[in-house]
Amino acid sequence: MTIRNAIRDHGQRYRPRMACLKKAEKVLLEMQDPKTGVKSQPQRLVITTIPHAISGEDIIAWLADRFQIDSQEARNLGSMLVALGYIYPLQDHKRLVIKPDASLYRFQTPYFWPTQQWPVEDTDYAIYLAKRNIRKKGILELHEQEQYNRLHKWMNHKWDFIVMQAKEQYRAAKERKKPDRVVFDCQERAYWVVHRPPPGTVSAMDYGLERRIDPNADETKTPDFYERIMIFTQQSIMRPRVKSSVSIGALVKYCATYNSHDPFLSKCLPSNPWLTDDVTYWTLNMPNVEIPTKMRVERWTFSFRELLSDPRGRDDFRLFLKKEFSGENLAFWEGCEDLKWGTAATMREKAEHIYKTFLARGAPRWINIDGKTMEITVKGLKHPHRYVLEAAQTHIYMLMKKDSFGRYMKSPVFKDTLKKAIAPEEHKFTDAQLEQNAKNRRPSLSPIILRQQELEQKAKMAASAPVDITQLCRFTTPVPHLAVYSGITDSPSANASPSLPFLAHSPACPSPISVALDSTSASERRVEASEGEGEGNPEAQTPVGGNVPKSRMALSLRRLLKRGCTPSTMFASLSPKCHSVAGTSSRIQPFSPDQPSQAPPRRIGNFFQIKVDIPPECRIYPIESEDEEEENRPASRGGIGAKEIICPWESLTPQNGMG
Amino acid sequence: MPLVNNKVGDDCTVGTDKALADGKALVDSLIKVVACYRHLASCVGSCTDSLQLRDELRQTREKAQNLAVSICQHLTSHLRDKSLPEEQRKEMELLWVAFSSGLELLHVDMCKVFSMGDIFSLANSASLVQTGLQGGGSEVAARALSLPDLNQARAPEAGLESQERSTMEQEISQIDHMIDDMEMKVNVLRWMVEPHGPQYADPLSSTDSASLALLSVDEEQPGHQPQSQHSHMVVFVVLFAVVLVATTLSVCVVFFS
Repeated sequence: MTIRNAIRDHGQRYRPRMACLKKAEKVLLEMQDPKTGVKSQPQRLVITTIPHAISGEDIIAWLADRFQIDSQEARNLGSMLVALGYIYPLQDHKRLVIKPDASLYRFQTPYFWPTQQWPVEDTDYAIYLAKRNIRKKGILELHEQEQYNRLHKWMNHKWDFIVMQAKEQYRAAKERKKPDRVVFDCQERAYWVVHRPPPGTVSAMDYGLERRIDPNADETKTPDFYERIMIFTQQSIMRPRVKSSVSIGALVKYCATYNSHDPFLSKCLPSNPWLTDDVTYWTLNMPNVEIPTKMRVERWTFSFRELLSDPRGRDDFRLFLKKEFSGENLAFWEGCEDLKWGTAATMREKAEHIYKTFLARGAPRWINIDGKTMEITVKGLKHPHRYVLEAAQTHIYMLMKKDSFGRYMKSPVFKDTLKKAIAPEEHKFTDAQLEQNAKNRRPSLSPIILRQQELEQKAKMAASAPVDITQLCRFTTPVPHLAVYSGITDSPSANASPSLPFLAHSPACPSPISVALDSTSASERRVEASEGEGEGNPEAQTPVGGNVPKSRMALSLRRLLKRGCTPSTMFASLSPKCHSVAGTSSRIQPFSPDQPSQAPPRRIGNFFQIKVDIPPECRIYPIESEDEEEENRPASRGGIGAKEIICPWESLTPQNGMG
Repeated sequence: MPLVNNKVGDDCTVGTDKALADGKALVDSLIKVVACYRHLASCVGSCTDSLQLRDELRQTREKAQNLAVSICQHLTSHLRDKSLPEEQRKEMELLWVAFSSGLELLHVDMCKVFSMGDIFSLANSASLVQTGLQGGGSEVAARALSLPDLNQARAPEAGLESQERSTMEQEISQIDHMIDDMEMKVNVLRWMVEPHGPQYADPLSSTDSASLALLSVDEEQPGHQPQSQHSHMVVFVVLFAVVLVATTLSVCVVFFS
């Protein structure tokens, strides 16, 4: 086709997925051949007869004969032709299916055939609705009425034209002979049923997003084009190669394994929702369902990747790891995934948080990776980017796969899940039930709601995240104290740290950076003997997890603060809490030697994960604190690379210079 | 003294009113021709496609083109006139919007006819789709060309298909350029244009309603048989009840008198 509507068309309308249209056109031209096509009969109306009507059963018989297929498939093919708009039904014009009985159909005129080149214009639809309005004297169907009003609003400037054009088309139609007029009206109506489907029906013309370039067009051979070909071939050469026996073996193994799980190749229990309109299958396989199906559980045994990629499987695995007290691997892996897939704005904080939680020496949930990988990772963290933790993540993944996965498969957790898994019965719907199902189709939950639920779930999980007690327990006191901190932020401080609390993984350990900054700013203030306002600041820096309202405690502490304690005593009373909050960063707080009484209470042992509020003096510290105490003394002198958990990349920032 | 570049005398509202009326008449006839062209185009490729139809299409197209050219000149000259009073300008802009929409419809129809003519060549009449149409578009073409009846005797010239196609291509590109020029020369803000007419097209005169009714009966009949039977039943029941009442009344009259 040489003439395209390319000048009026602003180049955004290529819809190459409709390659079926060309094929359907060929089929249709064969079908309508008067000699070899489908047998046509006249349609008898009250006052006239109109030729060239074809019956459904004739169509199906012809298709079955022509393509040598069975009648069910011929029926599906016929329904597709109707749904695309090449044939239209004369009775029951809204349902675009072929009925295998004597119901009549007719071929659509080529002007109204679906085409990719000329998009379906709203102007035409408005004109059609106006004409219909004239004909039906103002009684349009509900959805048509709504569309009409909507178009009136959006195309208001053309409305005179539309109304006049509708009238003119109507008058021109009246010039034609009666049967032709009827035929034309049927054609136009069928066209609009296809392209503006009534609500509750599915349109065959859904083709997804429109593309900017036409993949069917020949590409011009510019230097750029050749450049791309060269790069592609170079990369192809560099790919690792295997013997075809090996690769074919892998394919065969894959097919054998997944054969029974493929909804096309084998049954989809209880029934395929796309075929029967019954959504039991989807509800049974929701991501957060309590009891998974047997097929799903079986899938987890195929490979570790399958287990992790299924949210329910991951939950199960997490439960198992929790029992084994090695949940930090999975948590680290999830943290890395989050980093990779998250927004760029939060990347830096996430990377720092992960480092402090998992990788740093003495981190609360320290993972065990080898020295080389650790070196690479720490070096990379100086300039964090999305894939900076890739090496470590792979290492942990392989560790889990080789070690934990095997044990999981043999564990009672998995066996329990397997036992409880359900195997639903297959549905056997009659035709009437299928129709009923089709009528009762309802839209599913909006993706916005699903996402909210997901986030809530994550937050809930994060709030009750297991505290790893196998680690060196400088754990925080529970959330109430965090709430205290967040509760007493009277004035959002000007130097609020940029590190937003990152809740998803370990809210028990607030963003260590904030505490680092606290401590540094605290020490600044101590050095400078700043005014009493300063104490507002540490708390302002730790608004972590602290949306749990415990206002009473907050209030009491606020009162305490407002009594105008000096900064040093303030720090004295607060810093243990500060440490209690910042479990990981207990080393950071550089205490001056003149408060030896406060030096010991730096860490809280929370071996039993009891959520109680222990007054600072009574806290028990694990033995490991000793060496850190020594380490922190020189820390007060500041210095780069002090044993504070300062992120390596921060050693260059001026904040840490104060030490 | 502002230089005016229009045929009508400046500051002469009578003149601009006349210009408006002229423009309106031209645009109306363009709309009519475009409507007829669409009806004719819907027959292309169907079993009633013939050389005659193609010829009619060509004539309608030429007429539309002439109208378009004259409207273009008329409206462009008026809208570029800066001294046009405000209401006149609004009216002109309305006409302008109507004209450009009509032109776009015409353009699309012409493109479609061109490509369909490509595929459905008249030489191979078996490939013309059997759509159930019986008559051609002669009456519609007659309406478009405003001739009482089309001169049937003039045999359409055969063998000129290729020339026809190249002319058509040229005309399509001509219309394209016209649309582009229009946009360049005159800046009509479409969102400022307010239509006069009603939201709903008024139903046409009552003489039409009879055929309307028939038409709707024709269309809906096959699907609505059971419902008409139902209404027949209701009528029968009512009649029966009336007859019953009448008989009881007469019996009472007889009985009591």
